[in-house]
Amino acid sequence: MLKVPLSVDERWNLIEKISKQTVEFGARKHTLKDAIAELTVKPLTGIPVAIAVLYGFWSFFIDFAGTLFTDGFMVRLFDEHWLPWLQSVFPGGLGNPFYALLVDAGHMENGVLVASDNCLESFGVLTSGFFVPFGVVLWAVLAFYLMFALLEDVGYLPRLAVLVDTVLHKIGLHGYAIVPTFLALGCNVPGVTATRPLETRKQRFMMITLLSVFVPCGAQIGIMQDLVPELMGWIFLTLVIGYLGFGFILNKIVAGKSPEIIMDVPPYRMPMLKNIVSKLWIRTSRFLLVAVPFVLLGCLIVGLMYLTGAMDWLATVLGPFLMSWFGVPGETVAPLIAGFLRKDLAVGMLGGLMEQGIMTTFQVFTSVVLLCIYFPCLATFALMLKEENWKEFLGSIASLIAMVLVYGGLIHLVGIMLGVA
Amino acid sequence: MGHPNVGKSVFFNRLTGAKVLESNYPGTTVDFTKGWMRFGGEDVELIDVPGAFSLEPKDRAEEVAVKILEENRDSVVICVLDASKVERGLYLALEIIERGYPVVVALNMWDVAEDKNIRIDAEKLERILGVPVVPTIAISGEGFKELVSKIKEAAPVKIEKIIENAGGVESAAVSG
Amino acid sequence: MEKKLSEMDFDEEGTVKEIEETLRKQVAGMGIREGKNIRMATKQPIKGPVVVEVDESLTSLGLGVAKKIVVEVG
Ligand SMILES: Nc1nc2c(ncn2[C@@H]2O[C@H](COP(=O)(O)OP(=O)(O)O)[C@@H](O)[C@H]2O)c(=O)[nH]1
Ligand SMILES: [Mg+2]
Repeated sequence: MLKVPLSVDERWNLIEKISKQTVEFGARKHTLKDAIAELTVKPLTGIPVAIAVLYGFWSFFIDFAGTLFTDGFMVRLFDEHWLPWLQSVFPGGLGNPFYALLVDAGHMENGVLVASDNCLESFGVLTSGFFVPFGVVLWAVLAFYLMFALLEDVGYLPRLAVLVDTVLHKIGLHGYAIVPTFLALGCNVPGVTATRPLETRKQRFMMITLLSVFVPCGAQIGIMQDLVPELMGWIFLTLVIGYLGFGFILNKIVAGKSPEIIMDVPPYRMPMLKNIVSKLWIRTSRFLLVAVPFVLLGCLIVGLMYLTGAMDWLATVLGPFLMSWFGVPGETVAPLIAGFLRKDLAVGMLGGLMEQGIMTTFQVFTSVVLLCIYFPCLATFALMLKEENWKEFLGSIASLIAMVLVYGGLIHLVGIMLGVA
Repeated sequence: MGHPNVGKSVFFNRLTGAKVLESNYPGTTVDFTKGWMRFGGEDVELIDVPGAFSLEPKDRAEEVAVKILEENRDSVVICVLDASKVERGLYLALEIIERGYPVVVALNMWDVAEDKNIRIDAEKLERILGVPVVPTIAISGEGFKELVSKIKEAAPVKIEKIIENAGGVESAAVSG
Repeated sequence: MEKKLSEMDFDEEGTVKEIEETLRKQVAGMGIREGKNIRMATKQPIKGPVVVEVDESLTSLGLGVAKKIVVEVG
């Protein structure tokens, strides 16, 4: 007599018996889809395809979000209409603290306070505070999620996971870790949430830490692409090296298991428009809900710190350290502070500093990278608190500080050796 | 319940009107979602359980799935199967039936199975398993009315009964 | 001839002969079981994972996992 539950073999014998009586497999034709399904996971063909797919992704991101919407439309709308209009109708005027907070703080040129001519420099809640999320970031995030939803619904991601498993398993992660990493390129918050399927606490801890340090979000990428398109290659290279390098080190020092991949590779499917639209809507609206309040708050806090002199004080106090260790000027204190709240806002402020011409190209590069790695934005930070236990959380923070100091210093050092710092 | 990528989330969204992300990759739902569906004049709770291939967990999603199953001893399980891969779908369905849960089997992706020239005799399968079996196409909603109407027919079935209906089965020497 | 799944060549086919005890239950639900026809769909370089085909489904297994499965080929 059989015992319940059945053994693996008994169960399969039963299934075969049942399926013989109920299932009829007709002539099976090998389709083009089957061929593609395999070609895209074979290394020889799959890796070039992966590169092409990612390149297509990136081009779309730049053309759609950057060129079409931001440069073609939004920059003009904000800089040529919104800002001048506010400057003309808002009570107070240059020098008035209330006006400075909400519209335009202005900046010093030859000892005279002059009005800003774009929405990155002005730094008011109503100007930069709206330009950053709605003028730049929204389009970047929308373009990103559109492409991502297509890739996931077609069924490409598991294949990408298999292809990168070779590399990621060497640093103790699954190929599957590509999904949270990729998703985090849109926004770190859902990226951190997407680490939940990872199997062991070690893998989750590593992933969350690496994500929050080395993966810039779409908002940030959008602004970076807007400000320093020529540096993007170097910035990404630096981040990838950091991700893999520190992943390798973390894998060595963190206790725990890194089990190997056992994963179903589903067939390709035709994406459904309705599903793509609803995903886009859910993800983008969630993003705005997280981002907009923080950007506005960030503008306000930074504005207040400037007005009260706290920012200048911090710049003087921290300036020497920033200069000697990372090779960036004290003025970067302001973006670094804003970056606690929102990275996109912070990079935007950096743009303001660049336009005033106080930084060399290498300093811009270093500050942009520093902004990526020194702290996850507040929303991500709060989520880390929730997702990790306190030991892991402290571990993440400690790793974060160590990575920033070591890697930031290293970049400076390389810069000195290359003679560009 | 069902494998990853068989359309569970599409099912869930249709039945509850909720919005859960549907994706074509395994392991999307580790956080399960609860929703309410109208059933027989009442609101009953429905859970979108993470994808699992079996009740022997090999990853986190499967661990969560098993835990949810165990915490809801007196619920009806809708087993969503990929009709183009019935056999391995039945493996999970049988495991759940063996544990004594009342089950309704949805043969989803019926359209995909047809494209692949796979024909399933759903009525005969229903007779052998002794639980309702309904062909469905989640993305178009086909078969959903019938599925919902058959939920109340779901009742626990003894595995011995299924074996008998299938015409017996050799017990394996090694039990795994 | 018997060999480990991890040693199979690209596009080689065989019959699953033996699966290590703990793994066996874990992959049974994916259709990988003793007596089944299995094909090596792809092998990734430098000790990357393999992708095998059983019953027209593709499954990716880490190389260490593939070592625990013995296949009869030829
Ligand atoms: N052709 C077809 N596709 C389906 C059907 N049901 C679901 N899908 C698609 O299969 C994919 C996986 O669905 P999802 O609900 O996310 O699967 P889950 O992992 O089980 O929750 C999605 O891309 C769906 O659009 C169906 O009956 N026929
Ligand atoms: Mg789902």
